[in-house]
Amino acid sequence: MKSTVLRAGLGLAIMVAAISGAVVSSCTSAQTIRVAEHRQARIDALNRSIPSIEKQLGITIEVVEYPAPEKDYMSKLLTELGAGNAPDLFTANFDSDVADLVSAGYLAPITAEVKAWDGYAQLFDVAKKLSTRANGEIYALDSMLGVEQIYFRRDLLDKAGISTAQPTSWKDLLDRAREIKKKTGKYGLLLPAGISWGGGAFNEGFALFVPGSKTPQIANDDGTLNLNGEGVRDILGLYRSLIDEDLMPIEPLLGPEPWVIPKYTMFPAGDLMATTCGTWCYIYDWGKDSKNPVPDVTRNVGTWAVPGMTGGSSVMVSGRNIWAVNAKSAHLALAKKVLLALSSVDATVAYAQLLGNIPARKDAADNKDFQALTELVPVLKNVENGTFLKSAPGFSVVSEGVARATEALLRKQTNAAGAQAILVKYVKDLLGDKVVK
Amino acid sequence: MAMTYETRVAWQNRMLLVPALVLLAGFILIPAGAAIYISFTNEALSGFAAAHPQLVGLKNYVRLFSDDGFWNSLVVTAFFVFGSSIVGQFVLGLASAMALRRPIAFRPVFNAAILLPNAVPEVVAGFIWISMLAGGKYSTVSRIVGLVGIPPQNWLGSLPLLMIIVVNTWRGIAFAMILMTSGLSAVPTEVYEAARMDGATPRQIFWRITLPLLRPTIFLYMLVSTAGTIAIFGLIYTLTRGGPGGATEIIGIYIYNQSFTAYQLGYGSAVAVIMLGVSVAIGVIYVRVLKVQV
Repeated sequence: MKSTVLRAGLGLAIMVAAISGAVVSSCTSAQTIRVAEHRQARIDALNRSIPSIEKQLGITIEVVEYPAPEKDYMSKLLTELGAGNAPDLFTANFDSDVADLVSAGYLAPITAEVKAWDGYAQLFDVAKKLSTRANGEIYALDSMLGVEQIYFRRDLLDKAGISTAQPTSWKDLLDRAREIKKKTGKYGLLLPAGISWGGGAFNEGFALFVPGSKTPQIANDDGTLNLNGEGVRDILGLYRSLIDEDLMPIEPLLGPEPWVIPKYTMFPAGDLMATTCGTWCYIYDWGKDSKNPVPDVTRNVGTWAVPGMTGGSSVMVSGRNIWAVNAKSAHLALAKKVLLALSSVDATVAYAQLLGNIPARKDAADNKDFQALTELVPVLKNVENGTFLKSAPGFSVVSEGVARATEALLRKQTNAAGAQAILVKYVKDLLGDKVVK
Repeated sequence: MAMTYETRVAWQNRMLLVPALVLLAGFILIPAGAAIYISFTNEALSGFAAAHPQLVGLKNYVRLFSDDGFWNSLVVTAFFVFGSSIVGQFVLGLASAMALRRPIAFRPVFNAAILLPNAVPEVVAGFIWISMLAGGKYSTVSRIVGLVGIPPQNWLGSLPLLMIIVVNTWRGIAFAMILMTSGLSAVPTEVYEAARMDGATPRQIFWRITLPLLRPTIFLYMLVSTAGTIAIFGLIYTLTRGGPGGATEIIGIYIYNQSFTAYQLGYGSAVAVIMLGVSVAIGVIYVRVLKVQV
């Protein structure tokens, strides 16, 4: 009898301890917001903002460090979102990821909070449009923008007597690349391509040429995707010409981390004369604190807007540091406040300093730290003139399909029409026949 | 009715199996069953199918058989397993085991040198080899072969499959050597003495005595090594991620790429199920052969 009472007492004590532990733990974690971030420069930028946000909101922010490569980051994050144990707040890599994250039900709507936020009025219109879904809801905030165009070695082209004037068409761009090859023996233009490059093959290469093609938007309002059009084939034809005529490096693009050799080694060394890139190239890739800096980078590296197929030109603006709140967060309201705080001028300027992206807010121009970023200041005023692609559910599949289509071109297995067929088949296999127009 | 002693012991013995069965079910059978189920769905990591996966019947399997990438990965896997496990590790492991049975100087040092690669974690080994092979003229291997006039190259780009075979052979010799050493120890010395007294040459002793008597060990090694090599992931993912252009995309990498790079869990599971079938078939063949020999 005595032992039974003792056992019952012990059991009760354990239960009470467990319950009080859980209560204490839940009280403590109610004040802790977990934020996912990856790549050291981004983590450093985030850490700069955390103390003031913690002080302002009276909370603790725990930074959960994820794998650095964009694909590995996204894979791990998606796995955790699917399992329901992802951090409260995280970034999406590209706008093209957001639509599918929304479809998957991973993101909490933040429309009311963002529209009531004092920073909303300061957002560039393009950032508002990029952040807003077709149904008018906001699920992710594009706190930074990538302004992408073609970056070229002005110093080396001048030296070789090659024109640095804005190319007027794709043919003109190709002719320029041919001239570079002929006069210098160096590669004339790099377009990110192939499976290893991941989302960048679409977002940092293919997508830049879409607005100037005969298919100026991929996504339609009815949810279908324009992939069978002539424009898509023409863009793939541009890749084909660059590859077949040996105007762009191929071998590094077939290996792991394909951007490392062309962008961090060949371009600074002058073995590659032009590449698509964003403002981050001036800071992160070739800036004075990078591993292989280009001296006096803004003078020696010029920019061309991306020419249209037969005329005109465009500069692509896309979301970077797209903050979103986990729909299954136990602290939704608090996580949304942290999201807005991470889109403040100070926080976005910290990211601009370390990564080279452009704050999505007009008032960042008045910030003295941003004004010191002389590489970026001129770009800020051009943000509103940029074009952007509408994204839609299924865009992550399109992105992967473009990577596969361009991989086949890199491996010289097919022509432009064949690459388009690979893209269309991949998308149809995964999303159904009706999705592809 | 009271249980007899035998019945009670039989039940106790069965109960002893319960923990193992629970673990087996929890970590192998249920996940395998789940993978088979998922392979019949369009389950994805992102997009509408992540929230609302649907049964798609045999669609993933039909797609798989017309997928060049899948067939490419099967061929790459076959070359990789044959080259690194069956030829490289086995031949060098057997040679090491036989050499190190002899009373040679610094035997413990040689033993340690062969065992060391196995002590290095897979990813660390991968990074060590990247520094040896990648970087063109700056790579260690290029500098070494440059001494005899061979031009530098990006070894992982120009000879990717051969390079991963070499790396995996380097890493797996120790396991083969240990197993072969144990097999050689089981061969009675009297057999060798009798053969020598009958005038057998070393070559005849190897082909007519050592190899036939080692056969059970060799088949056991082949079974374990083949299954293990098919499942290799970290080493190759670190070295090449399956590139360039799918040249080193063995089946494990292909499954990962489909499931976690393209986010198609259903399709990735279908590939995994096919591979499970292939692995089981190989296992059954080896076990049958083993039974005959033993």
